[in-house]
Amino acid sequence: MTRKAKLRKDPWPRVHTGPLTWWRDHRRVAGETVHFVSARLGASLLVWLLVGIALALPAGLFLLQINLAGMTTAWEGRPGLSVYFDLGLAEAEITAAAEALGSRSEISSVKITTQAEALQEFQTYSSLANALDLLAENPLPASLRATLRDGASLMDLELVAEFAGRRAGVSEVVMEKTWLQRVTDITRVVSRLGLMLGVLFGLAAVLVTATSVRLAIEARLEELRVLKLVGATDRQIRRPYLYFGAFYGLGGGMIAAMLISLCLVIIETPLTHLLGSYGQNLEMSGFDPKFLAVLLVVGGILGIAGALLAARQRLADLEIN
Amino acid sequence: MGHIEFHQVTKRFDNGHEALKDISVEFDEGSMTFLTGHSGAGKSTFLKLLMCLDQPSRGQILVNGVNVTQISPRRLAYYRQNLGAVYQDHHLLAHRTVFDNVALPLRVSGMREKDIVRRVRAALSRVGLLPKEQLFPGHLSTGEQQRVGIARAVVPRPKILLADEPTGNLDPELSQDIMHLFEQFKQVGTTVIIASHDHDLIESMNSRIIELGNGSIVGDRIDGHV
Repeated sequence: MTRKAKLRKDPWPRVHTGPLTWWRDHRRVAGETVHFVSARLGASLLVWLLVGIALALPAGLFLLQINLAGMTTAWEGRPGLSVYFDLGLAEAEITAAAEALGSRSEISSVKITTQAEALQEFQTYSSLANALDLLAENPLPASLRATLRDGASLMDLELVAEFAGRRAGVSEVVMEKTWLQRVTDITRVVSRLGLMLGVLFGLAAVLVTATSVRLAIEARLEELRVLKLVGATDRQIRRPYLYFGAFYGLGGGMIAAMLISLCLVIIETPLTHLLGSYGQNLEMSGFDPKFLAVLLVVGGILGIAGALLAARQRLADLEIN
Repeated sequence: MGHIEFHQVTKRFDNGHEALKDISVEFDEGSMTFLTGHSGAGKSTFLKLLMCLDQPSRGQILVNGVNVTQISPRRLAYYRQNLGAVYQDHHLLAHRTVFDNVALPLRVSGMREKDIVRRVRAALSRVGLLPKEQLFPGHLSTGEQQRVGIARAVVPRPKILLADEPTGNLDPELSQDIMHLFEQFKQVGTTVIIASHDHDLIESMNSRIIELGNGSIVGDRIDGHV
Protein backbone atom coordinates (compact mmCIF):
# COMPACT_ATOMS: atom_id res chain seq x y z
CA MET A 1 0.00 0.00 0.00
CA THR A 2 1.46 3.39 -1.00
CA ARG A 3 1.73 6.23 1.51
CA LYS A 4 -1.00 8.12 -0.35
CA ALA A 5 -3.32 5.15 -0.17
CA LYS A 6 -2.55 4.79 3.53
CA LEU A 7 -3.41 8.43 4.13
CA ARG A 8 -6.67 8.04 2.25
CA LYS A 9 -7.53 5.14 4.51
CA ASP A 10 -6.44 6.90 7.70
CA PRO A 11 -6.42 10.69 7.36
CA TRP A 12 -5.02 11.12 10.90
CA PRO A 13 -2.14 8.69 11.27
CA ARG A 14 -0.10 8.79 14.48
CA VAL A 15 3.16 10.57 13.86
CA HIS A 16 5.08 9.19 16.84
CA THR A 17 4.61 5.47 17.33
CA GLY A 18 6.67 2.48 18.43
CA PRO A 19 8.10 1.08 21.67
CA LEU A 20 10.24 4.14 22.39
CA THR A 21 7.20 6.41 22.30
CA TRP A 22 5.35 3.98 24.54
CA TRP A 23 8.32 3.85 26.94
CA ARG A 24 8.64 7.67 27.02
CA ASP A 25 4.96 8.03 27.89
CA HIS A 26 5.17 5.43 30.65
CA ARG A 27 8.31 7.03 32.10
CA ARG A 28 6.67 10.45 32.08
CA VAL A 29 3.47 9.15 33.69
CA ALA A 30 5.43 7.21 36.35
CA GLY A 31 7.38 10.36 37.20
CA GLU A 32 4.20 12.42 37.47
CA THR A 33 2.59 9.76 39.65
CA VAL A 34 5.55 9.72 42.05
CA HIS A 35 5.31 13.50 42.22
CA PHE A 36 1.53 13.41 42.84
CA VAL A 37 1.80 10.71 45.53
CA SER A 38 4.73 12.38 47.30
CA ALA A 39 2.92 15.72 47.25
CA ARG A 40 0.09 14.06 49.21
CA LEU A 41 2.20 11.87 51.45
CA GLY A 42 -0.21 11.91 54.41
CA ALA A 43 -3.18 10.68 52.39
CA SER A 44 -0.97 8.19 50.53
CA LEU A 45 0.36 6.73 53.79
CA LEU A 46 -3.19 6.25 55.01
CA VAL A 47 -4.09 4.36 51.82
CA TRP A 48 -0.93 2.24 52.10
CA LEU A 49 -1.80 1.41 55.71
CA LEU A 50 -5.38 0.40 54.83
CA VAL A 51 -4.26 -1.75 51.92
CA GLY A 52 -1.42 -3.14 54.05
CA ILE A 53 -3.78 -4.25 56.82
CA ALA A 54 -6.13 -5.79 54.26
CA LEU A 55 -3.22 -7.77 52.79
CA ALA A 56 -1.51 -8.62 56.09
CA LEU A 57 -4.40 -10.63 57.55
CA PRO A 58 -4.81 -13.22 54.78
CA ALA A 59 -1.05 -13.29 54.16
CA GLY A 60 -0.45 -13.91 57.89
CA LEU A 61 -3.01 -16.70 57.91
CA PHE A 62 -1.32 -18.19 54.86
CA LEU A 63 1.99 -18.20 56.74
CA LEU A 64 0.32 -19.80 59.77
CA GLN A 65 -1.24 -22.44 57.57
CA ILE A 66 1.98 -23.47 55.83
CA ASN A 67 3.82 -23.57 59.16
CA LEU A 68 1.13 -25.75 60.74
CA ALA A 69 1.30 -27.99 57.70
CA GLY A 70 5.09 -28.09 58.10
CA MET A 71 4.69 -29.00 61.77
CA THR A 72 2.38 -31.87 60.78
CA THR A 73 4.89 -33.10 58.27
CA ALA A 74 7.68 -32.92 60.84
CA TRP A 75 5.65 -35.05 63.27
CA GLU A 76 4.47 -37.40 60.59
CA GLY A 77 8.07 -38.49 59.95
CA ARG A 78 8.43 -39.81 63.51
CA PRO A 79 5.07 -40.75 65.06
CA GLY A 80 5.18 -42.36 68.45
CA LEU A 81 3.54 -42.65 71.83
CA SER A 82 4.10 -41.49 75.37
CA VAL A 83 3.58 -43.87 78.28
CA TYR A 84 2.90 -42.29 81.68
CA PHE A 85 3.56 -44.41 84.79
CA ASP A 86 1.92 -44.42 88.22
CA LEU A 87 3.50 -42.02 90.70
CA GLY A 88 6.23 -43.64 92.75
CA LEU A 89 6.67 -46.65 90.42
CA ALA A 90 10.07 -48.30 90.90
CA GLU A 91 12.77 -47.44 88.38
CA ALA A 92 13.32 -51.14 87.67
CA GLU A 93 9.67 -51.48 86.58
CA ILE A 94 10.05 -48.49 84.29
CA THR A 95 13.24 -49.84 82.77
CA ALA A 96 11.61 -53.22 82.22
CA ALA A 97 8.69 -51.57 80.45
CA ALA A 98 11.13 -49.63 78.27
CA GLU A 99 13.02 -52.79 77.37
CA ALA A 100 9.80 -54.63 76.56
CA LEU A 101 8.68 -51.85 74.21
CA GLY A 102 12.15 -51.43 72.72
CA SER A 103 12.26 -55.10 71.82
CA ARG A 104 9.22 -54.82 69.57
CA SER A 105 9.86 -54.67 65.84
CA GLU A 106 7.63 -51.58 65.37
CA ILE A 107 9.73 -49.46 67.72
CA SER A 108 12.93 -47.72 66.70
CA SER A 109 13.85 -46.01 69.99
CA VAL A 110 12.68 -45.53 73.56
CA LYS A 111 13.57 -42.65 75.85
CA ILE A 112 12.75 -42.57 79.53
CA THR A 113 11.91 -39.32 81.34
CA THR A 114 12.20 -39.74 85.09
CA GLN A 115 10.02 -37.83 87.58
CA ALA A 116 12.95 -35.49 88.29
CA GLU A 117 13.54 -34.84 84.56
CA ALA A 118 9.82 -34.17 84.03
CA LEU A 119 9.91 -31.62 86.82
CA GLN A 120 12.96 -29.93 85.30
CA GLU A 121 11.27 -29.70 81.85
CA PHE A 122 8.14 -28.24 83.40
CA GLN A 123 10.21 -25.62 85.21
CA THR A 124 11.95 -24.73 81.96
CA TYR A 125 8.87 -24.33 79.76
CA SER A 126 6.13 -23.21 82.13
CA SER A 127 5.53 -19.91 83.87
CA LEU A 128 3.80 -21.87 86.67
CA ALA A 129 7.07 -23.52 87.69
CA ASN A 130 7.17 -21.72 91.06
CA ALA A 131 3.78 -23.16 92.00
CA LEU A 132 5.34 -26.63 92.22
CA ASP A 133 7.59 -25.42 95.05
CA LEU A 134 4.48 -25.15 97.22
CA LEU A 135 3.79 -28.88 96.87
CA ALA A 136 5.37 -31.38 99.24
CA GLU A 137 6.29 -33.86 96.53
CA ASN A 138 6.78 -33.97 92.78
CA PRO A 139 3.33 -34.51 91.18
CA LEU A 140 4.68 -35.26 87.72
CA PRO A 141 4.89 -38.92 86.68
CA ALA A 142 7.79 -40.66 85.04
CA SER A 143 7.21 -41.42 81.39
CA LEU A 144 8.77 -42.87 78.31
CA ARG A 145 8.52 -41.92 74.72
CA ALA A 146 8.63 -44.63 72.11
CA THR A 147 9.27 -43.69 68.50
CA LEU A 148 8.00 -45.89 65.70
CA ARG A 149 10.38 -47.09 63.04
CA ASP A 150 10.12 -45.54 59.54
CA GLY A 151 7.14 -46.73 57.58
CA ALA A 152 5.16 -47.97 60.59
CA SER A 153 1.42 -47.59 60.14
CA LEU A 154 -1.28 -46.14 62.35
CA MET A 155 -2.34 -49.73 63.11
CA ASP A 156 1.20 -50.52 64.35
CA LEU A 157 0.95 -47.51 66.62
CA GLU A 158 -2.36 -48.71 68.02
CA LEU A 159 -0.97 -52.24 68.60
CA VAL A 160 2.00 -50.88 70.52
CA ALA A 161 -0.27 -48.59 72.54
CA GLU A 162 -2.47 -51.55 73.46
CA PHE A 163 0.60 -53.59 74.44
CA ALA A 164 1.92 -50.76 76.63
CA GLY A 165 -1.45 -50.11 78.22
CA ARG A 166 -1.68 -53.72 79.46
CA ARG A 167 1.50 -53.46 81.56
CA ALA A 168 1.18 -53.04 85.32
CA GLY A 169 2.07 -49.60 86.65
CA VAL A 170 1.08 -47.82 83.40
CA SER A 171 -1.29 -44.97 84.14
CA GLU A 172 -1.91 -43.61 80.61
CA VAL A 173 -0.81 -44.10 77.02
CA VAL A 174 -1.00 -41.08 74.69
CA MET A 175 -0.68 -41.66 70.97
CA GLU A 176 0.87 -38.62 69.29
CA LYS A 177 -1.22 -39.33 66.23
CA THR A 178 -4.09 -37.69 68.11
CA TRP A 179 -2.15 -34.42 68.26
CA LEU A 180 -1.23 -34.83 64.67
CA GLN A 181 -4.86 -35.15 63.69
CA ARG A 182 -5.74 -32.07 65.70
CA VAL A 183 -3.03 -30.05 64.04
CA THR A 184 -4.19 -31.32 60.65
CA ASP A 185 -7.76 -30.29 61.45
CA ILE A 186 -6.59 -26.87 62.65
CA THR A 187 -4.57 -26.50 59.45
CA ARG A 188 -7.67 -27.20 57.39
CA VAL A 189 -9.68 -24.63 59.34
CA VAL A 190 -6.91 -22.03 59.00
CA SER A 191 -6.57 -22.79 55.31
CA ARG A 192 -10.26 -22.24 54.59
CA LEU A 193 -10.41 -19.22 56.86
CA GLY A 194 -7.38 -17.81 55.06
CA LEU A 195 -8.99 -18.37 51.68
CA MET A 196 -12.22 -16.67 52.75
CA LEU A 197 -10.43 -13.78 54.41
CA GLY A 198 -8.12 -13.55 51.40
CA VAL A 199 -11.08 -12.99 49.10
CA LEU A 200 -12.81 -10.56 51.48
CA PHE A 201 -9.75 -8.51 52.34
CA GLY A 202 -8.54 -8.63 48.73
CA LEU A 203 -11.87 -7.08 47.77
CA ALA A 204 -11.39 -4.53 50.53
CA ALA A 205 -7.94 -3.65 49.13
CA VAL A 206 -9.48 -3.20 45.67
CA LEU A 207 -12.23 -0.95 47.05
CA VAL A 208 -9.81 1.15 49.13
CA THR A 209 -7.63 1.69 46.06
CA ALA A 210 -10.65 2.37 43.86
CA THR A 211 -11.91 5.02 46.27
CA SER A 212 -8.50 6.67 46.51
CA VAL A 213 -8.03 6.65 42.75
CA ARG A 214 -11.50 8.06 42.27
CA LEU A 215 -10.59 10.94 44.58
CA ALA A 216 -7.42 11.48 42.57
CA ILE A 217 -9.49 11.56 39.37
CA GLU A 218 -11.92 14.07 40.87
CA ALA A 219 -8.96 16.28 41.88
CA ARG A 220 -7.69 16.29 38.29
CA LEU A 221 -10.92 16.47 36.27
CA GLU A 222 -9.97 19.75 34.61
CA GLU A 223 -6.64 18.29 33.54
CA LEU A 224 -8.39 15.24 32.09
CA ARG A 225 -10.71 17.46 30.08
CA VAL A 226 -7.78 19.41 28.65
CA LEU A 227 -5.92 16.17 27.89
CA LYS A 228 -8.93 14.96 25.92
CA LEU A 229 -9.11 18.28 24.09
CA VAL A 230 -5.51 17.96 22.93
CA GLY A 231 -6.02 14.41 21.71
CA ALA A 232 -5.07 12.06 24.54
CA THR A 233 -6.43 8.55 24.00
CA ASP A 234 -8.52 6.84 26.68
CA ARG A 235 -5.50 4.66 27.50
CA GLN A 236 -3.30 7.69 28.01
CA ILE A 237 -5.90 9.29 30.23
CA ARG A 238 -6.34 6.10 32.26
CA ARG A 239 -2.61 5.34 32.54
CA PRO A 240 -1.71 7.70 35.44
CA TYR A 241 -4.48 6.18 37.54
CA LEU A 242 -3.27 2.65 36.88
CA TYR A 243 0.10 3.83 38.15
CA PHE A 244 -1.62 5.27 41.23
CA GLY A 245 -3.28 1.90 41.81
CA ALA A 246 0.00 0.03 41.35
CA PHE A 247 1.80 2.43 43.72
CA TYR A 248 -0.89 2.11 46.37
CA GLY A 249 -0.90 -1.69 45.98
CA LEU A 250 2.90 -2.01 46.13
CA GLY A 251 3.07 0.33 49.13
CA GLY A 252 0.29 -1.69 50.78
CA GLY A 253 2.26 -4.89 50.11
CA MET A 254 5.32 -3.40 51.81
CA ILE A 255 3.27 -2.28 54.81
CA ALA A 256 1.75 -5.79 54.99
CA ALA A 257 5.25 -7.33 55.03
CA MET A 258 6.25 -4.97 57.84
CA LEU A 259 3.12 -5.80 59.86
CA ILE A 260 3.68 -9.54 59.47
CA SER A 261 7.34 -9.30 60.48
CA LEU A 262 6.30 -7.19 63.49
CA CYS A 263 3.76 -9.87 64.47
CA LEU A 264 6.41 -12.56 64.13
CA VAL A 265 8.75 -10.64 66.44
CA ILE A 266 5.97 -10.23 69.01
CA ILE A 267 4.89 -13.89 69.04
CA GLU A 268 8.38 -15.38 68.73
CA THR A 269 9.00 -15.93 72.48
CA PRO A 270 5.64 -17.51 73.45
CA LEU A 271 5.69 -19.61 70.28
CA THR A 272 9.17 -20.90 71.09
CA HIS A 273 7.88 -22.01 74.50
CA LEU A 274 4.76 -23.60 73.03
CA LEU A 275 6.67 -25.56 70.42
CA GLY A 276 9.38 -26.46 72.92
CA SER A 277 6.76 -28.11 75.14
CA TYR A 278 6.01 -30.43 72.22
CA GLY A 279 9.69 -31.04 71.57
CA GLN A 280 9.73 -28.82 68.50
CA ASN A 281 12.11 -26.03 67.57
CA LEU A 282 10.80 -22.74 66.16
CA GLU A 283 11.59 -22.82 62.49
CA MET A 284 9.33 -20.25 60.85
CA SER A 285 9.15 -21.05 57.17
CA GLY A 286 7.48 -19.22 54.30
CA PHE A 287 8.50 -15.64 55.25
CA ASP A 288 11.17 -15.46 52.59
CA PRO A 289 12.00 -13.28 49.56
CA LYS A 290 9.60 -15.32 47.40
CA PHE A 291 6.74 -14.66 49.83
CA LEU A 292 7.59 -10.94 49.90
CA ALA A 293 7.72 -10.81 46.10
CA VAL A 294 4.32 -12.53 45.85
CA LEU A 295 2.92 -10.13 48.47
CA LEU A 296 4.12 -7.12 46.44
CA VAL A 297 2.86 -8.55 43.15
CA VAL A 298 -0.55 -9.39 44.64
CA GLY A 299 -0.70 -5.90 46.18
CA GLY A 300 0.20 -4.34 42.83
CA ILE A 301 -2.38 -6.39 40.94
CA LEU A 302 -5.14 -5.60 43.45
CA GLY A 303 -4.18 -1.91 43.29
CA ILE A 304 -4.36 -1.89 39.49
CA ALA A 305 -7.70 -3.72 39.64
CA GLY A 306 -9.06 -1.04 41.99
CA ALA A 307 -7.72 1.72 39.75
CA LEU A 308 -9.27 0.14 36.65
CA LEU A 309 -12.60 -0.09 38.45
CA ALA A 310 -12.52 3.60 39.42
CA ALA A 311 -11.19 4.78 36.06
CA ARG A 312 -13.79 2.84 34.07
CA GLN A 313 -16.59 4.22 36.20
CA ARG A 314 -15.47 7.85 36.26
CA LEU A 315 -13.80 8.36 32.90
CA ALA A 316 -16.51 6.70 30.82
CA ASP A 317 -18.88 9.62 31.31
CA LEU A 318 -16.32 12.42 31.31
CA GLU A 319 -17.83 15.45 29.59
CA ILE A 320 -15.35 17.79 27.97
CA ASN A 321 -17.51 20.43 26.31
CA MET B 1 -5.30 16.96 4.90
CA GLY B 2 -7.81 19.54 6.11
CA HIS B 3 -10.77 19.49 3.74
CA ILE B 4 -13.97 20.08 5.68
CA GLU B 5 -17.61 19.65 4.60
CA PHE B 6 -20.78 20.36 6.55
CA HIS B 7 -23.80 18.60 5.03
CA GLN B 8 -27.20 19.84 6.20
CA VAL B 9 -26.00 20.08 9.80
CA THR B 10 -28.56 21.00 12.41
CA LYS B 11 -27.92 21.33 16.12
CA ARG B 12 -30.94 21.42 18.38
CA PHE B 13 -30.47 21.57 22.16
CA ASP B 14 -32.63 19.78 24.73
CA ASN B 15 -34.61 22.97 25.37
CA GLY B 16 -35.63 23.05 21.69
CA HIS B 17 -33.37 25.93 20.67
CA GLU B 18 -31.77 25.41 17.28
CA ALA B 19 -28.21 26.77 17.35
CA LEU B 20 -27.50 25.68 13.76
CA LYS B 21 -30.10 25.12 11.05
CA ASP B 22 -29.43 22.94 8.05
CA ILE B 23 -25.92 24.26 7.45
CA SER B 24 -24.11 23.12 4.32
CA VAL B 25 -20.68 24.57 3.70
CA GLU B 26 -17.24 23.49 2.51
CA PHE B 27 -13.72 24.57 3.49
CA ASP B 28 -10.79 23.85 1.21
CA GLU B 29 -7.50 22.56 2.53
CA GLY B 30 -5.15 25.48 3.23
CA SER B 31 -7.93 28.06 3.37
CA MET B 32 -8.53 30.71 5.98
CA THR B 33 -12.12 31.56 6.94
CA PHE B 34 -13.67 33.92 9.44
CA LEU B 35 -16.99 33.05 11.06
CA THR B 36 -18.79 36.13 12.15
CA GLY B 37 -22.21 37.08 13.42
CA HIS B 38 -23.90 38.42 16.52
CA SER B 39 -23.74 36.69 19.90
CA GLY B 40 -25.78 33.49 19.80
CA ALA B 41 -25.57 33.28 16.02
CA GLY B 42 -24.04 29.80 16.28
CA LYS B 43 -20.32 30.47 15.78
CA SER B 44 -19.15 28.63 18.90
CA THR B 45 -21.55 25.74 18.27
CA PHE B 46 -20.17 25.46 14.74
CA LEU B 47 -16.61 25.16 16.08
CA LYS B 48 -17.64 22.79 18.88
CA LEU B 49 -19.21 20.41 16.38
CA LEU B 50 -16.02 20.49 14.33
CA MET B 51 -13.96 19.76 17.45
CA CYS B 52 -16.35 16.88 18.23
CA LEU B 53 -17.17 18.40 21.60
CA ASP B 54 -20.83 18.02 20.74
CA GLN B 55 -22.86 15.97 18.27
CA PRO B 56 -25.09 17.43 15.55
CA SER B 57 -28.78 16.58 15.83
CA ARG B 58 -28.84 15.94 12.09
CA GLY B 59 -26.42 15.99 9.17
CA GLN B 60 -22.82 15.03 8.55
CA ILE B 61 -19.47 16.68 9.15
CA LEU B 62 -16.81 15.26 6.85
CA VAL B 63 -13.11 15.91 7.37
CA ASN B 64 -11.04 14.50 4.54
CA GLY B 65 -14.09 12.46 3.60
CA VAL B 66 -14.50 10.88 7.05
CA ASN B 67 -17.65 11.58 9.05
CA VAL B 68 -16.12 12.76 12.32
CA THR B 69 -19.42 12.54 14.18
CA GLN B 70 -19.26 8.76 13.98
CA ILE B 71 -15.62 7.85 14.55
CA SER B 72 -14.37 5.62 17.39
CA PRO B 73 -12.98 7.23 20.58
CA ARG B 74 -9.43 6.21 19.60
CA ARG B 75 -9.65 7.77 16.12
CA LEU B 76 -11.31 10.80 17.64
CA ALA B 77 -8.20 11.23 19.81
CA TYR B 78 -5.92 11.01 16.76
CA TYR B 79 -8.21 13.45 14.93
CA ARG B 80 -7.85 15.92 17.80
CA GLN B 81 -4.06 15.50 17.70
CA ASN B 82 -4.26 16.94 14.18
CA LEU B 83 -6.48 19.76 15.32
CA GLY B 84 -5.28 22.97 16.96
CA ALA B 85 -7.93 24.79 18.95
CA VAL B 86 -8.02 28.14 20.72
CA TYR B 87 -10.83 28.41 23.27
CA GLN B 88 -12.57 31.48 24.60
CA ASP B 89 -11.93 30.32 28.17
CA HIS B 90 -8.34 29.22 27.38
CA HIS B 91 -8.57 25.79 29.13
CA LEU B 92 -5.14 26.17 30.73
CA LEU B 93 -3.98 24.02 33.64
CA ALA B 94 -3.42 26.24 36.66
CA HIS B 95 -0.85 23.98 38.36
CA ARG B 96 1.35 23.60 35.28
CA THR B 97 3.79 26.17 34.00
CA VAL B 98 3.30 28.03 30.73
CA PHE B 99 5.90 25.72 29.16
CA ASP B 100 4.14 22.57 30.34
CA ASN B 101 0.75 23.85 29.17
CA VAL B 102 2.06 24.46 25.69
CA ALA B 103 3.98 21.15 25.68
CA LEU B 104 0.86 19.12 26.53
CA PRO B 105 -0.25 18.23 22.96
CA LEU B 106 3.32 17.26 22.03
CA ARG B 107 3.69 15.01 25.07
CA VAL B 108 0.36 13.38 24.27
CA SER B 109 1.56 12.68 20.74
CA GLY B 110 4.71 11.02 22.13
CA MET B 111 7.32 13.45 20.84
CA ARG B 112 10.88 13.32 22.19
CA GLU B 113 11.57 15.76 25.03
CA LYS B 114 14.43 17.40 23.11
CA ASP B 115 12.09 18.21 20.20
CA ILE B 116 9.35 19.31 22.59
CA VAL B 117 11.65 21.91 24.17
CA ARG B 118 12.61 23.26 20.75
CA ARG B 119 9.04 23.43 19.43
CA VAL B 120 7.53 24.89 22.61
CA ARG B 121 10.15 27.61 22.86
CA ALA B 122 9.62 28.51 19.21
CA ALA B 123 5.84 28.77 19.73
CA LEU B 124 6.23 30.81 22.92
CA SER B 125 8.71 33.07 21.21
CA ARG B 126 6.22 33.61 18.38
CA VAL B 127 3.51 34.81 20.79
CA GLY B 128 6.01 36.84 22.84
CA LEU B 129 5.89 34.75 26.01
CA LEU B 130 9.26 33.00 26.05
CA PRO B 131 10.48 35.03 29.08
CA LYS B 132 7.45 33.80 31.01
CA GLU B 133 7.74 30.10 30.21
CA GLN B 134 8.27 29.08 33.84
CA LEU B 135 5.37 31.11 35.23
CA PHE B 136 1.98 29.62 36.08
CA PRO B 137 -1.15 30.80 34.21
CA GLY B 138 -2.44 32.48 37.38
CA HIS B 139 0.48 34.90 37.19
CA LEU B 140 -0.44 36.04 33.66
CA SER B 141 -2.92 38.63 32.41
CA THR B 142 -5.98 37.45 30.46
CA GLY B 143 -4.36 38.50 27.20
CA GLU B 144 -1.21 36.54 28.04
CA GLN B 145 -3.29 33.50 28.95
CA GLN B 146 -4.97 33.85 25.57
CA ARG B 147 -1.56 33.81 23.90
CA VAL B 148 -0.55 30.67 25.83
CA GLY B 149 -3.73 29.05 24.45
CA ILE B 150 -2.75 30.15 20.95
CA ALA B 151 0.79 28.78 21.37
CA ARG B 152 -0.64 25.45 22.57
CA ALA B 153 -2.94 25.33 19.53
CA VAL B 154 -0.20 25.95 16.98
CA VAL B 155 2.66 24.00 18.57
CA PRO B 156 1.71 20.59 17.09
CA ARG B 157 1.56 22.20 13.61
CA PRO B 158 -2.03 21.06 13.14
CA LYS B 159 -3.78 20.22 9.87
CA ILE B 160 -6.81 22.21 11.02
CA LEU B 161 -6.69 25.29 13.24
CA LEU B 162 -9.88 26.45 14.95
CA ALA B 163 -10.05 29.58 17.06
CA ASP B 164 -12.97 30.94 19.05
CA GLU B 165 -12.47 34.69 19.56
CA PRO B 166 -8.67 34.34 19.69
CA THR B 167 -8.02 38.09 19.81
CA GLY B 168 -10.82 39.04 22.22
CA ASN B 169 -8.38 40.05 24.97
CA LEU B 170 -5.51 41.31 22.83
CA ASP B 171 -4.59 44.82 21.76
CA PRO B 172 -4.91 45.64 18.01
CA GLU B 173 -1.19 45.34 17.29
CA LEU B 174 -0.91 41.94 18.95
CA SER B 175 -4.16 40.83 17.28
CA GLN B 176 -2.67 41.59 13.87
CA ASP B 177 0.45 39.69 14.79
CA ILE B 178 -1.57 36.62 15.84
CA MET B 179 -3.55 36.80 12.59
CA HIS B 180 -0.33 36.82 10.62
CA LEU B 181 0.76 33.76 12.57
CA PHE B 182 -2.48 32.01 11.55
CA GLU B 183 -1.92 33.11 7.97
CA GLN B 184 1.52 31.49 7.99
CA PHE B 185 -0.15 28.24 8.95
CA LYS B 186 -2.62 28.66 6.11
CA GLN B 187 0.28 29.09 3.69
CA VAL B 188 1.72 25.71 4.67
CA GLY B 189 -1.60 23.96 4.04
CA THR B 190 -3.41 24.26 7.37
CA THR B 191 -7.15 24.93 7.18
CA VAL B 192 -7.86 27.85 9.49
CA ILE B 193 -11.34 28.77 10.80
CA ILE B 194 -11.66 31.71 13.17
CA ALA B 195 -14.80 32.85 14.96
CA SER B 196 -14.56 36.56 15.66
CA HIS B 197 -16.54 39.72 16.29
CA ASP B 198 -13.70 42.01 15.33
CA HIS B 199 -14.91 43.39 11.94
CA ASP B 200 -11.92 45.69 11.39
CA LEU B 201 -9.51 42.81 11.89
CA ILE B 202 -11.58 40.47 9.69
CA GLU B 203 -11.82 42.98 6.87
CA SER B 204 -8.07 43.62 6.99
CA MET B 205 -7.24 39.95 6.35
CA ASN B 206 -8.76 39.60 2.83
CA SER B 207 -10.02 36.12 3.61
CA ARG B 208 -13.30 34.27 3.26
CA ILE B 209 -15.97 35.52 5.65
CA ILE B 210 -19.02 33.45 6.58
CA GLU B 211 -21.68 35.35 8.45
CA LEU B 212 -24.03 33.42 10.67
CA GLY B 213 -27.40 34.72 11.84
CA ASN B 214 -29.77 32.77 14.08
CA GLY B 215 -28.08 29.49 13.19
CA SER B 216 -28.10 29.96 9.42
CA ILE B 217 -25.51 31.19 6.94
CA VAL B 218 -26.58 34.70 5.92
CA GLY B 219 -23.44 35.67 4.06
CA ASP B 220 -20.46 33.94 2.45
CA ARG B 221 -17.92 36.12 0.65
CA ILE B 222 -14.25 36.08 -0.26
CA ASP B 223 -12.22 39.26 -0.51
CA GLY B 224 -15.25 41.43 -1.07
CA HIS B 225 -17.01 39.07 -3.52
CA VAL B 226 -20.33 37.54 -2.43
